Amino acid sequence: MALEMNQPGVWSKSERELRGAFLSQLEVIPGGDKIKACIQCGTCTGSCPVSYAMDISPRGVMALFRAGDIEAILRSRTIWVCASCYVCTTRCPAGIKITDILYALKRIAIEKGIFPSRFPVYHLSEQFVKMVNKYGRNYELGLIRRFNFRTGLKKFWQMAPLAWKLFIHGRLSFRPSRIKGLDQIHKIIASAQREPVPVSRETSEFLGTVGYAATTEVEEKVAAGGNQA
Amino acid sequence: MNQKIGVFICHCGTNIAATVDVEEVTQFMAQQPNVEYSTNNLFMCSQPGQLMLQRYIKRKGLNGVVVAACSPQMHELTFRKACEEAGLNRYLFQMANIREQCSWIHDDRAQATEKAKAIVNAAVRRVAWQEALEISHVKINPHTMIVGAGIGGIQAALEIAESGNQVYLVERESTIGGRMAQFDKTFPTLDCAACILTPKMVSVGHRKNINLMTLSEVEKVEGFIGNFTVTVRTKARYVTDACTSCGACVKACPVEVPNWFEGLLGKKTAIYKLFPQAVPNTYVIDKEETPPCIEACPIRQEAAGYVALIRDRKFKEAAQLIRLRNPLPAVCGRVCYHPCETECNRGYVDQPIAIQHLKRFALDWARQRNIELVPPKIERREEKVAIIGSGPAGLTCAHDLAVKGYQVTVYERSSLLGGLLGLGIPAYRLPRHLLREEISYLRDLGIDFRTNVTLGKSFSLEQLKQQGFKAIFLAIGAQSGVKIEIPGENTEGVYSGVDFLRRFNLGVRTALGKKVAVIGGGNTALDAARTALRLGAERVVIHYRRTRSEMPASPYEIEDTEAEGVAIHYLIAPIKIAKAHRSLQMTCVNMQLGEPDASGRRRPISISGSEHQLEFDNIIVAISQKPEIEVLADEKGVPHLALTPWGTLQVDQDSLVTNQEGVFAGGDVVLGPSTVIASMGLGRRAAESIDKYLNGQPLVDFKTHMPKPIVPRGETFRPHRYSPMFKDLPKQKRVEMSKLDPKIRNRDFSEVEIGFSEEEAVREATRCLNCGVCVECLECVKVCDPEAIDHEMQDRVQQIKVGQILLSTGYDVFDARVMSQYGYGKLDNVLSGIEFERMLSATGGTGGKILCKNGQPPRAVAVIHCVGSRDENYHKYCSRVCCMYALKFAHLVKDRTKAEVYQFYIDMRAYGKGFEEFYKRVLLEGTNVIRGKVAEVVESGWSNKEEGHLIVRCEDTLIGKFREIPVDMVVLCSALEPRQDTAKVRQLFSISLSPDGFFLERHPKLDPTSTMTDGVYIAGCCQGPKDIPDTVAQASSAAARILATAQKGEVEIDPIRAQIKEELCSGCRMCNSVCPYFAISFDEQKKISIINDALCKGCGTCVATCPASAITGKGFTDQQIYAEIEGVLA
Repeated sequence: MALEMNQPGVWSKSERELRGAFLSQLEVIPGGDKIKACIQCGTCTGSCPVSYAMDISPRGVMALFRAGDIEAILRSRTIWVCASCYVCTTRCPAGIKITDILYALKRIAIEKGIFPSRFPVYHLSEQFVKMVNKYGRNYELGLIRRFNFRTGLKKFWQMAPLAWKLFIHGRLSFRPSRIKGLDQIHKIIASAQREPVPVSRETSEFLGTVGYAATTEVEEKVAAGGNQA
Repeated sequence: MNQKIGVFICHCGTNIAATVDVEEVTQFMAQQPNVEYSTNNLFMCSQPGQLMLQRYIKRKGLNGVVVAACSPQMHELTFRKACEEAGLNRYLFQMANIREQCSWIHDDRAQATEKAKAIVNAAVRRVAWQEALEISHVKINPHTMIVGAGIGGIQAALEIAESGNQVYLVERESTIGGRMAQFDKTFPTLDCAACILTPKMVSVGHRKNINLMTLSEVEKVEGFIGNFTVTVRTKARYVTDACTSCGACVKACPVEVPNWFEGLLGKKTAIYKLFPQAVPNTYVIDKEETPPCIEACPIRQEAAGYVALIRDRKFKEAAQLIRLRNPLPAVCGRVCYHPCETECNRGYVDQPIAIQHLKRFALDWARQRNIELVPPKIERREEKVAIIGSGPAGLTCAHDLAVKGYQVTVYERSSLLGGLLGLGIPAYRLPRHLLREEISYLRDLGIDFRTNVTLGKSFSLEQLKQQGFKAIFLAIGAQSGVKIEIPGENTEGVYSGVDFLRRFNLGVRTALGKKVAVIGGGNTALDAARTALRLGAERVVIHYRRTRSEMPASPYEIEDTEAEGVAIHYLIAPIKIAKAHRSLQMTCVNMQLGEPDASGRRRPISISGSEHQLEFDNIIVAISQKPEIEVLADEKGVPHLALTPWGTLQVDQDSLVTNQEGVFAGGDVVLGPSTVIASMGLGRRAAESIDKYLNGQPLVDFKTHMPKPIVPRGETFRPHRYSPMFKDLPKQKRVEMSKLDPKIRNRDFSEVEIGFSEEEAVREATRCLNCGVCVECLECVKVCDPEAIDHEMQDRVQQIKVGQILLSTGYDVFDARVMSQYGYGKLDNVLSGIEFERMLSATGGTGGKILCKNGQPPRAVAVIHCVGSRDENYHKYCSRVCCMYALKFAHLVKDRTKAEVYQFYIDMRAYGKGFEEFYKRVLLEGTNVIRGKVAEVVESGWSNKEEGHLIVRCEDTLIGKFREIPVDMVVLCSALEPRQDTAKVRQLFSISLSPDGFFLERHPKLDPTSTMTDGVYIAGCCQGPKDIPDTVAQASSAAARILATAQKGEVEIDPIRAQIKEELCSGCRMCNSVCPYFAISFDEQKKISIINDALCKGCGTCVATCPASAITGKGFTDQQIYAEIEGVLA
C-alpha cells in the first residue's frame, strides 16, 4: 500500500520510485510545477467531456499525487481515457497543465508497465504511434488489426460488419496510404527525441526544494538509513 | 582628522550569531584604523544595547558610529535617535546590514564571517568621511484633499472635517456614495446600505468645511508633503443649483444609453440622476464631445438633436428645434451639401445618417399640418443695420440681428429675394413657394426688404451711413460668370451659366436650340444642363476638363443629372468657338492629367494634335463665378474696399470687418463661389460681430461656431463611452429617399426628391449612434420650470493648495464576459453581482423584486464564487468579499422568493466578525452549498420540454461526482479589480502599485494607509479588495494620520539631498530632464541649474548624470562611496 508511510516524511519505496520518475517527467513540462498549486476546485472534471468514462476524476489525479499514490493513478483508466481536448488546461484557475501531466503519467505507465486491469487502451495508443511513425498518418484498419491481435481477435471479427459499412461509404481503406515527405516526418520525430527539452527555471528550482524532491535528497537519506537498519 | 569610530555588532539573538562569528568580527574591527572601540551585544536595538551605545559615545568621545545589525529599514532611525540623544549628529552614524545581506542568506560560517567583516569595514571607512547634516523643517498646509467619495472617502472627510480643517472631496461621478450606494443590504448584519450611508452623504453636503467637488478629476499634482498644488478639472454639469429635482427633464429626453450604475441591465437618459438620494441632489447632463454632425455645421445646427426627436416621433419638436437656429430650414433641408453627413460617425460603421432628408421631413411634416413655428420674442432696439444682398449670408445676418432687436433693412438688386437661392438654384431642387415662405417668416420678424435697388446705382455706402445705418453688411455674392478667355466666347448663343439661370428664373425668355453644350464641372454647370433639358433641349452635353473624381459638383447631383439623360464628357476643353451657318462650332482638345496644382487637384494638360470640332446650337459657360466688385467702385473704377488677389473682399478672419469701419462682409463676396451653408455661417458670424460693434465691445472672443477640422476615427472608436466600438456595432442600411422617375421629371420643374414617410424617417433616425450622449435637442430646457438648464456651461479648472492627499478611488468590477464559459453578456439571466444588487435594491430596475428576464420569479438560483478571482488566468488574488455577499444573496433570495439557492464555492472564507455565524444561519435556511468551481453555464434545450432555463455544470468535489444542475438564474461573484485608469492615477500622485495592480502601501502590516510618497495616503479598495468595515477602519486610520501630521504643523525634511556647486555648473540642463521628482529647474539669470530642496528626494540620478561633476549628493559624496568600496575590498 503506497499510502502508508513507515517513517515520518518518507514515502514508501514503490511510491518513491514512481515519484522520482514522475517528477523528472514534470521537469520537461513548462509550468509543470504548478501541480502543487491545485486548489481542488473541480473545474477540470466539470469541463471534461469524457470524465463520465473515468474511474478517477482529473481532480482526483491531482489529489492522489498529493496523497502519494501514483500507482493508483496508473492503475486507473483516467489517463488513457483523456481525449486531449485541453479544455481543463485552458480553464484551470491554478494554471496546471493537466493534459500534459496526464501524458507524463502515460509515459511512466508504459515505462514501468503499470496498467489498469481489463482496459487495454494503452495498446491502442502504442500502436497508433507506431502507425504514425510508419505511414506519417493513421491507417485505421491496420491499427485495429494490431490492437485486436494483442487484445483478442474475437473482437476483430465482431467489428467486421461495421468495417464493411465504413468501406462501402469510402470511410475505410484496406490499404495504408503514406503521406508525402514521410522522411521529413521521421526527421522531425528523430530531432524531437534527440533534442533535450529546455527546463524552465521555475521548474528546476521547485524540484530542488524540500517536500517534493522525494527522489533526490529523501531517497539518499532513506538509502543511508536503510543501510544502518 | 582625528577619527574616533565606535563599532557595535549585534547578535540579533541567534539570527546573526548562528552564522556569523560575532566575536571574531568584533576583534577584527578593533584593529582597523580610526576604530576607537569595538564591541557586541545580544540585541543592539534593546534598551540596554542603546544605552551601551550612548555610554561609549560619551565615554570614548566617539565622532563616528557604526552599528552592524539588521536592515536600515528596520532600525536606522532607532540608532540615529540614540546617537542624537548622546550628543552625536545623527548623520555621523552608519548602519551595516549583516543580517538580511549576510547571515540569513549564507550557511558557511567561516565565509559568512569574512563577508560580515567586509560589510562592517565598508561602513567604518565610509563613516570617517561623513559630515554632520542638519534636518530642515517645512510648514504644513492643514487642508486635505480626498480623491474618491465612496464610503472610505466620505468617512475620512467627515472625520477630518470634525477637526475644523478644510477638506476638498473630489469625486468623478455626479454624486458621492460610490459602490456602497449601489448595494441593497450589507453582510453580515443585513443593514440596509442606503440607510447607513445616506446620513453620512447628507452630512458631507452640509459641512461648511467640506468642499464637495463632483464631476471632478485631478489633472496634475505638484509639490510635496505639506505643500501640494493640485489641479482639478470640474466638468460642466449643465444644470445649475436652481434644479429642484422634479425629474421633468428625464421624461423629455429622447436619449437612452446603458447605465453603468445598474450594470448591463438598466438604461439612463442623457440628463439623469443616478439614484434618488444622490448628493448633490441635482440632475446632470452627460455630454461628451460635441457630435460630429453638429461640429461640422457652419451654423451649428443641432442635427443630432432633431434626429433623436424624430426617432422619438416628436416631429413637431424636431421642426421647432431646426427653426430655432436656422433662418432658412427648408432651403437647407433641400440644397445644403450637408457636411454633417460627411462627418457622421455612422459612416464608419456603414453609411452616414440621412440627416438632410430627416430635416426636410420634419419641416414638411410641420408645414403639411400648418404648425406655426412661432418666432421668438424680440426686444426692439433703435440701431439701424443695412444688409446688401438677400442671399443666404444676407438673410442669416438679417435674421440674427432682427432677433436681437435691431432695425434691419435688406437691399436686393433684382426683383426676386433670396439671391442665388432664387436666381441660381432651379425649382426642381428648391420649390419656389418654400423660398417665399422662408422670406415671409423673416419679414414677420420685422425685417424690411427693398427690391430693385442696386448698390452703386440707386445708392452708395456713404448715403446709407448718412441715413443713419450704424452698420452695413455686404453680402452681394459672386454672381458674375468667369470667362474661359478663348476666341469667340462673346458670339451670340454663348451664355454664362449664372446669367442663363438668372434670366430663366426671372422669366426672361432665352433662345435655346436642340443641342446644348455646357462647359464646367460645378453645381452651376449641372443646374444649367438640367434646366436646359427641361427647357426643351434634346441633347445636352457637359464638357469637363478633368475626370469625374475631380469634379467639384456633389456626387449625388452628378448621378441625378446623368439619370435624366445629360451626357458628361471628361478630359475635354474648348479652345475656340465660331459661328458656323446656323449653329456654333466649338473646337475642342483632349486633355490628360498631370501633377497636382495649388488646389490639390491634378492639373489638366492638353494633348497636342487632338483638336476636333463639335457643333451645338448653344453653349453655356459655367466654369466659375466672381464677385461684381464694380458696384463698390467709385466713378474712376477704384474700389472703396480692400480686395484679395482673387478679387474677393478682404476681411478680418474672425470679425469679418472690412477695412472700412462699420462695414462688414460675408458670403460668396468673401469666400468666392461657395455653398449655401458656408455663406450662412459667415452671415451668422457677421451678425455677432455687428452686435458687438454696436454695443461698443471689442471684436474678439466670438461665440458663433466655426467648424473645426474633425480628426478621422479608427474602427475602435466609440461614439460615446457606453457604446460598443464602430467595428462591433450592428450594420443597418440607410433609408434612401424616393425620387421622381428621371424620364418624367426631366421635362418639368417639379421637385425631384419626394420626401420621407413617417415610418421611413423614424427608421432612418433610429440608426443614429447618439454620439456624445447628449444630442442637444434642448427639450429639457423647454420643460424645466426653474430654468436650471444651461447647455453653454463650461468646464472649470481650479488649482487647490493642500497639505496632504488621501486616495480612496475604489475598484472596478471584473468584466465576466471574458470568461465565455459562464455566458455572461450572452445568456439572459446570467447576472453580475452588481446587477443582482441593483435588482435587490428598491431603487433598481425591478423595485427590489427578483425576476428573470421573462418577468417570472426564478425557481432556482445559482451563485458562482470566485469569478475572475483566485484564477491564474485573470486575478490571482482572493477578492475577499465575494463569499459573504454570495451568502447574503442566498439569504435575500430565500427571503423574497421560493427559489432553491445553490452556492458553488471553492473555499468558504468567513473570516470576519459575525461572518461564520452568518454562514451557519444561511446554511440553516436551507441553502445548498456545493464545493466545486463551476465549469460552465449552458442553455438547456436539447428538447422543447427542457427549454428556457440554464444548466450549471460542475464537479461536486465532496462526493466526487459530475453534476448538471438546472436553474433559472445565475449570479456571478465577479472579482474586484483595480480601476482601469490606475496606472494614470499612480503617475499623477507618484505612488507605486503592488503586483496585483492595486496601490502599494508603505508596509503591508505596520503602515497600510501611507504610501512611499510622503503626504499621500490610501484607503479602501484602491489598496486591495476589502469589505465596508475594513474600508471604514482604514479611512479612519488615514484621517488620524493626516490630522496628526497637520497638527504637528511642520514636517522634517531629510537633508540627504543633491547639491549643485555653482562654480562647476555649466548650465547644460541635462539634470533638469532626468530628475524624476521635477526638483531641478534652470535659473535664467545665473544660467545654472538649481535644486528645490523640498522636492529633491536624494535619489542621485542627477549626480550620476552631471557631466561636470557639479552635483554631489549630501550623505552620498563620491569620497564616501569610494571609501565604502575600498572598505569592502580591503
